Amino acid sequence: MPPDSSTDQLLAGVPAVSLWDRVREREVWTDDQREEVLDELFPDDHRQIQYVKRFAVLIVLSTMIAAFGLLANSAAVVIGAMLVAPLMTPMLALSASLVYAQMRRFVGALLMVIFGTIAAIAVGWFVAFIASGGITPESLDSEILARTSPSLLDLGIAIAAGLAGGYVLTHKGSMSSLPGVAIAVALVPPLATVGVTLRLGATDLATGALLLYTTNLIAIVLSASIVMLMSGFVPDHIRLLARGKMGARLLPWVIALVAVAVPLALHTRSVIEEESFSRLVSQTVVQWDPRATIVDLDTDIGGNRASVVITVATSGDGRPVWELAQLIADTRGVDVDVEISFQNVRTDASSTS
Amino acid sequence: MSRSASRTCEQMHRRPVRRFLALGVAASLVAAACTSTGSDGRVVIEVFGPYRGEEAVGFAATFAPFEEETGFDVRYVGTGSFAADIQKRVTEAELPDIAIFPQPALITDIASRGLLAPLPESIIDTDSSEKRSLGSATIGQHAVWFRGGAKSLVWYLPTAFADRGYEVPTTWDEMIALSDTMVGDGVAPWCLSIESFASTGWVGTDWIEDIVLREQGDVLYDQWVAGDILFDSSEIRHAFLTFGTVVHGNKTVVGGTNRILNTPWQDAAAPMFEDPLRCMMQRQASFWAPQIPEGFTFEQDIDFFLLPGPTEAPPPILVSGELAAAFNDRPEVAAFMEFLSTPEAGEGWAELGGFISPHPDFDPSHYGSEIDRRVGQVIEDAPRIRFDGSDQMPPVVGTGTFWQAMRDYIRTGDVDAAVTLVDDSWPRAVQLPEG
Repeated sequence: MPPDSSTDQLLAGVPAVSLWDRVREREVWTDDQREEVLDELFPDDHRQIQYVKRFAVLIVLSTMIAAFGLLANSAAVVIGAMLVAPLMTPMLALSASLVYAQMRRFVGALLMVIFGTIAAIAVGWFVAFIASGGITPESLDSEILARTSPSLLDLGIAIAAGLAGGYVLTHKGSMSSLPGVAIAVALVPPLATVGVTLRLGATDLATGALLLYTTNLIAIVLSASIVMLMSGFVPDHIRLLARGKMGARLLPWVIALVAVAVPLALHTRSVIEEESFSRLVSQTVVQWDPRATIVDLDTDIGGNRASVVITVATSGDGRPVWELAQLIADTRGVDVDVEISFQNVRTDASSTS
Repeated sequence: MSRSASRTCEQMHRRPVRRFLALGVAASLVAAACTSTGSDGRVVIEVFGPYRGEEAVGFAATFAPFEEETGFDVRYVGTGSFAADIQKRVTEAELPDIAIFPQPALITDIASRGLLAPLPESIIDTDSSEKRSLGSATIGQHAVWFRGGAKSLVWYLPTAFADRGYEVPTTWDEMIALSDTMVGDGVAPWCLSIESFASTGWVGTDWIEDIVLREQGDVLYDQWVAGDILFDSSEIRHAFLTFGTVVHGNKTVVGGTNRILNTPWQDAAAPMFEDPLRCMMQRQASFWAPQIPEGFTFEQDIDFFLLPGPTEAPPPILVSGELAAAFNDRPEVAAFMEFLSTPEAGEGWAELGGFISPHPDFDPSHYGSEIDRRVGQVIEDAPRIRFDGSDQMPPVVGTGTFWQAMRDYIRTGDVDAAVTLVDDSWPRAVQLPEG
């Protein structure tokens, strides 16, 4: 590290290094240090076999924990699985070997990621298979469903986590933040979800979970690559000489990121539209019958007709349902089919003495 | 885009109407011609009816060409409990412009309170042939029979019949004999279930009406429907007992009484489509046809024969459908009523399937569904057609006690209780004591 005492410099009559210079200062890497990092991410020698074995065991175990945790609807267990999961490392290895132009390591890391992905989905499928008593797509609970409909928010999370991951890797002293990154990023839980939902035959849910995983994968690799580039991890001579090629290597990942952003954006928009319609229906119910309370509400606005399936508790006779349908149609400007169940609530009291 | 309409004009004129009625002036008052316009400036016509889901989509296909040609905005809302809801709307004076009635009796009832606008002269039905009777003359003056349906149909699988050597019966006795043969062969002859939310029982009333029409003829049928013959008469009791041989016979209905009462009517014939099938015939209206599972082609895999009469002569046909009537005579409302009375009105819906036109001049090339075309032909060719009886009886009976009586009879087999229940509820003129 260059001498950092501005007072000394002043005293020596040398122009002080400004604060801005300090901020822009990049870590200085020696080739040995670089090799050390790359080796840790993906060993190139005889330790590779142990690495792969360790990876295989951890991916199976972490997915098992995640799958059971998802089915048990336990957020804590799922988080535990994320800490055990080994997927972050090969992904960061992808980034590192991408910017450092190490083809062999890149291919190796890619194979690990692919193998890990398939293994995790298979384990998820297997867990659902052995735990299959009574689980139906309808009985899936919040933890697992949360992984089935990704939005642009999830993309944002993945990008931020990827940046964090890249930063942690290239700035020693921040290794304690790595578990935090692992948790923020959803890698093993979505894969477990894919496996479980495929076993249950809910292919649309599985597709959503796969989209979430792919988004995270691409965003992490890309963001970590960018941070590494900016942090001086790549030696200048490689960075300057291979600039064009660097762009060519990164470009497919940028395209891939845009490609996943499109369905995410569409999905986000439809999620927003559905939520806004659901809120409108709730408000309309109050307008329709102030004494009614919503017990259950399921709305769908995709397609040319909207659909509302609603259970309402009311203490009186209630207003006829056609009035509700008409109110919804008039307010939202869309034709709607409403199915309603009434629960009658009657309160009473009695005393003796 | 908000669809709210400015309706203050309507409401302002409704209150004077209520006051007039309260004073007992039963003149045929009609809300003053005050137009309702939507936020987009189009003139609004509000229609209220029983169509929901796919039927609502079909009805939209009906009025789409009318909207295009006139620039009016037809707003339809449908309800699953039409009979109760329209009564409530009348009581609360929240009237639509036009209502689509599945029961002519409701029309008679509401018209008698002076709330319906008479049809424009040009479209009053002057067909007074004996062939068809929709009920009272009031109906003819106020309502347009817009959509039809036939009820006296027995659905079956031709291949299943052929495999077992069964022949389509042409008389009632032949059908009973066939039913006995089927029981002997170990398969239930009848697929029957009646559950239908608050309307559970109407499937049974259809059976009784078809039986009365065949056993007693249309003259007595008309008298019975008008209330001039009691349910507790030998003729009507006989019809109940005939129905009893179907529902209470040993293994004549798949699933027995429990299934009859608790399975939705739409699923009644599900066992007929199983492999191996567990029932052979379903007597059910043409509007059941959308329940036919995918992969069963009409005429090859599934067909119907007419519920036979006592002889081989073509039997009378029980029909149903909906009639449109208007609550006011605003020009746009009258225009829509005129449109509904034309054969062209049904074309859009017929092309989608699930619509049968009762209009003799309807162009059958517009039928998108072969079933609809055949049923349209059945109605056209029938020597006698009669509108569903319970739909013509006073609402308290037709959409109330008659349904209850059928539920009770199926469950208990007690004819006495069933017929007494209905007769006791029939609103008759009070006989004042003499002297």
